[in-house]
Amino acid sequence: MTVQAHELTKDYKFGFHDVDVSVFRTEKGISPEVVAAISDHKQEPAWMLKFRLKALEHFFKRPMPNWGADLSGINFDNIYYYIKPVDEMGRSWDDVPDSIRNTFDRLGIPAAEQKFLAGVSAQYDSEVVYHSIRDDLSKLGVLFSDCDTGLREHEELFKRYFGTVIPPNDNKFAALNSAVWSGGSFVYVPKGVRVDIPLQAYFRINSDNMGQFERTLIIADEGSYVHYIEGCTAPTYSNDSLHAAVVEIIAEKGAHVRYTTIQNWSDNVYNLVTKRAIAKEDATIEWIDGNLGSKVTMKYPSIYLMGERAHGEVLSAAFAGNGQHQDAGSKCIHVAPNTTSNVVSRSISKGTGRTSYRGHIRVLPKATNVKANVRCDALLLDEESRSDTYPYMDIENPDVTFGHEASVSKVGEDQIFYLQSRGIDEVQATALIVNGFFEPFVKELPMEYAVELNRLLALSMEGSIG
Amino acid sequence: MAEAATATGVVCRETLDARVAGSPAWLADRRTAAWDAFSAMPAPSSSRDEDWRRTDIAKLHLDRFAAAGTPARELVELAQSRHATALPGAALVLCGPDGGVTVENAESLLAQGVIVSSLEEAAERHPDLVQRGLSGIGIGESYFVAMWNALWRGGVFIHVPAGMQAVAPVWIAHLAAGDEQASFPATLVVLDDHASLTLVEDLVGPADPAPRLSVAVTAFQLGEDARLDDIPVQQLPPETWHFSTRRANCGTSAHYRLFGATLGARLQKAYWDVILEGRGSEADVFAVCFADAHQHIDHQSLQLHRGPDTRSNLLLKVAARDHAQSVYGGLIDVLPGAIHADGYVVNRNLLLSQGASASGVPRLEIKANDVRCGHGTTVGHVDDEERFYLMARGIPADDAERLVVRGYFADVLDRVPLETTREWLLALVDAEIGDGGGGGLDADEVAP
Repeated sequence: MTVQAHELTKDYKFGFHDVDVSVFRTEKGISPEVVAAISDHKQEPAWMLKFRLKALEHFFKRPMPNWGADLSGINFDNIYYYIKPVDEMGRSWDDVPDSIRNTFDRLGIPAAEQKFLAGVSAQYDSEVVYHSIRDDLSKLGVLFSDCDTGLREHEELFKRYFGTVIPPNDNKFAALNSAVWSGGSFVYVPKGVRVDIPLQAYFRINSDNMGQFERTLIIADEGSYVHYIEGCTAPTYSNDSLHAAVVEIIAEKGAHVRYTTIQNWSDNVYNLVTKRAIAKEDATIEWIDGNLGSKVTMKYPSIYLMGERAHGEVLSAAFAGNGQHQDAGSKCIHVAPNTTSNVVSRSISKGTGRTSYRGHIRVLPKATNVKANVRCDALLLDEESRSDTYPYMDIENPDVTFGHEASVSKVGEDQIFYLQSRGIDEVQATALIVNGFFEPFVKELPMEYAVELNRLLALSMEGSIG
Repeated sequence: MAEAATATGVVCRETLDARVAGSPAWLADRRTAAWDAFSAMPAPSSSRDEDWRRTDIAKLHLDRFAAAGTPARELVELAQSRHATALPGAALVLCGPDGGVTVENAESLLAQGVIVSSLEEAAERHPDLVQRGLSGIGIGESYFVAMWNALWRGGVFIHVPAGMQAVAPVWIAHLAAGDEQASFPATLVVLDDHASLTLVEDLVGPADPAPRLSVAVTAFQLGEDARLDDIPVQQLPPETWHFSTRRANCGTSAHYRLFGATLGARLQKAYWDVILEGRGSEADVFAVCFADAHQHIDHQSLQLHRGPDTRSNLLLKVAARDHAQSVYGGLIDVLPGAIHADGYVVNRNLLLSQGASASGVPRLEIKANDVRCGHGTTVGHVDDEERFYLMARGIPADDAERLVVRGYFADVLDRVPLETTREWLLALVDAEIGDGGGGGLDADEVAP
């Protein structure tokens, strides 16, 4: 079998973009003045401005990471750090400007809402333009808004948790986000409340050279359950864009949080995201993490298992086509006894694409009776494709059961042959095998996401067989 | 021949000058170039160098270690008795830390045309062969390799000519240096096409707790279809700083097998590299490591697949007790063009005490697509159930632990191809496990 990479001749599926209708944007580049302007424009309390300025200092001080992906293409001076596209929040779908609605229509958001979504909060550039949540959830005390609104309307609650999971000096990009963050989601689920339909938000980058720095804070109070879904697609642009989000999750005692994300940024975006969750006693955290787009992604969803019997799951899938580098993975830090974690990663490299699994399992001395398992598999489709696995583990307690396994292989000729002998052509056969390879990931997705992912995969696979 | 100890220790310009004076021109040049590289290089740092992140040598002061003197009579006898117990039929090469090398029991090999001699002597008499032996070791490739390139002495050189199956194994004993002294063990082996050899390399020293430094390089060149069985045993004194690089370059269809036991030293940083150059070359690496007290044992392995149809397999089993720390870093690197490469690496850890720790990074970097590669890591402990089961049968706790560890190591040690050596290794490992245990029955543990 000859498998050869071809450039996708088709335009990027979501590569349309609208005329820029922004009403407020800061100058290009970053400085204390830009940060102050953002804070001022948002009419934030003084402590937040202080937090932002402190974070900016950390950002300036920290060197660029010297490991992982090649980040030399980022020019921090050539990025707009804040753009506000519309004057006020759209109250209902009809109030959203036509051009923005068209964009979302093409992504199918209203249709999705009609079905079963609890709330839609779609980020267009930096501010959430549309937001709604079903009345019954509001009555239960569930808060689901953009992060700015969260700060404005629930300052005390917000302040108690904000920046506690990911401190502003955690890493260079978390520091940048802390300085210029805007939008993102704020979720609070009160004690014992079970939100059994997923909360959902879409994020998009629209303006040229626009960095997007959304900030998400999810607080699940004792015994609650919530599933949060974030999907990303971005239009293609000639200049590189930067996306540096921060996501913080706190699962209080007995809470269960599932966070699902599929990123499909256009292939000029640097996607450098810090995602971390804290699981207290008996809490469960699940990261379902798909990486299909972007030029470079560096993203390692982490779980700190702080309370006894806490459980963490990371299920991730990555696809790297020509010129893409998906450097993704996970971290599970076992701090408390009787904690468990499970990581499953699947990645596919095609053409000159490169996928890297980079993970860390750590068991601290006091964490007895820990069980941790990591399984990562990679599939290489072409001769120039590359796959790396960097699984770090540090075990400081003897009472642990830890297992890690990884495999790298190509699509088996016998599998292709088998399918061909049943009348399926080679292109379809490869697509079937790829779909099957991602199956553990796909089956955890809500239906329309699974459908969308399969569509995206099929698109990515087009022209892959020579 | 003892060297004058200087205030700065043996790692200094004067030592280099003495070595250069005693070397043929090509080697003198190599030593000087290595020294220049070494002098220009910072020591590895756990905050700067990725593969040193978990091994901190900030407390290593090179100037503390003087030139090594003649080994003590008891140490020579110890080395001889290990050879006599484990593999009496093998030729014995005794390498003193002072550069003194004696070869015994090698007549049959010499009659075959096999070269077994001191490396210094071989560098004079067989420069081409020795240069071939050194060709896989970069002059300034790393801090400790550069140091070794500049300062090694004595050493062993073995050459097996084409088509020759060495009639007897070779047992190399590298004797540890004395208190606060440094040694630079050197072993070079060149196997021509279709040649084969079995080798034991025993790093041995007394049990006394004085600090020592050991910087070693062992290099193998395997020609087409050559076979090498390599049995390295590291049982250096308990306060030794040991840095070693062991590398096998494998030609077409060559097969390298390593059966190792790591038992000694206070801190070890060992690089085990297999370079699969030739089409169809293969490497199997099986090793056990038992660490206790405050030992910090670091193994770094590389399985570099350069040629097509190459295969490698590595299994490292570590048991750590007390406050011992095991660090493992492994890389399977499949280069473009190494199609049909098959690489596997497994690191298993058994933690026997609260306070023992294990960390590891078994990495894969795959740049060719038609490959099959995998790795596995596990960390576990002795089940209370296993202990209970054995104790219920009247086996005291310490013996139970020993049995479990022995069972855990068995699938590696059982593969050692020479029966008497296998038995000896089992006894060696048993004795190490027994050290801390004490054994015997306590009054309240007496079986019914």
